[in-house]
Amino acid sequence: MVGGPLKRLHNWLKSLIRSIFRRKTEVRLGLYGPTNSGKTTLANRICMDWIGEKMGKVSSIPHETREIQVKEKVTIEKGNKKLVFKLVDTPGIATKIDFEDFVKRGLKKKKAKQRAKEATKGVIEAIKWLDKMDAVLVVLDASKNPIDQVNVTILGNLEARNTPVLIVANKIDLKRANAQKVREAFPKYKVIGISAKKGSGIKNLYNELFELL
Amino acid sequence: MDEKLKIKFIPYEVLKNKRTRDLISDLKKNTIIIVDAKLMPREEARLIRAAMKKISSKFSGIELNSLELSEIKKDKTWSDVIKEKIIEIILGKKRGMTIIGPADIIKKIEKDPTDLLLFMK
Repeated sequence: MVGGPLKRLHNWLKSLIRSIFRRKTEVRLGLYGPTNSGKTTLANRICMDWIGEKMGKVSSIPHETREIQVKEKVTIEKGNKKLVFKLVDTPGIATKIDFEDFVKRGLKKKKAKQRAKEATKGVIEAIKWLDKMDAVLVVLDASKNPIDQVNVTILGNLEARNTPVLIVANKIDLKRANAQKVREAFPKYKVIGISAKKGSGIKNLYNELFELL
Repeated sequence: MDEKLKIKFIPYEVLKNKRTRDLISDLKKNTIIIVDAKLMPREEARLIRAAMKKISSKFSGIELNSLELSEIKKDKTWSDVIKEKIIEIILGKKRGMTIIGPADIIKKIEKDPTDLLLFMK
């Protein structure tokens, strides 16, 4: 399953070399997280705020984003400082996809199967793209239990690649949301509480991006 | 999934030399796999990718969760951290355990936080 110490050394050297050379030409900021955590809502918020156009469609049905979406040259400003990056919205990562879940949410069987098939490809793509990111916002739903294996796997993989990470505790507008619980679950990381939908905490997030990138 | 439920205990040293697709093949045959270490993040990602490739109307994916011994101990001192790292290098694995199972029969695997709780469907 693993190639041993040599493989690990190879991966580490690869990520080191990549980080040295890519930073000079382009910066990719990825949005990662489990399904329905609000990644695309956040991508839309960022894009609307800075380039005046949306990035993708959002839905309450999981796996709405099933392909990697990239917005080139997103520029954000803070005083005299400018930050230019490629914003990469990724499909939500999951360990299981059951087409019956889509049927329960009102999709026809054929469409549900199609969605499930596309969703599996989306998860594979999202995992592949982990290697291409220069920094990542891990978007979590602050109203859910943060200690979830998918979240742990995403963070562990980013740490293994030495990718800078900022955790975004999204949906703080919801009554049961608890950004503090996210902080306690992941004490090693900086956590910003926001509502991508309502816009609260978003300025704080933009300020943090200047530290992250 | 007509086969009877099986539980397989695999030493990490054996698992890391196993092909991921063989593991998925076991999982598809109603097998729960218990490993005597925490999987490395890249191994978890590889497992998820492999599971995604095999998803069908009969196999909806996997549930996995793991415990790492070093995570359990709170208020760790620097010497604890160094000790853990040295043990990890010597053993070549993260001390702990991992449970992997087919999502068609496992509802969820929860961290308690010092135990792993497996809920069947």
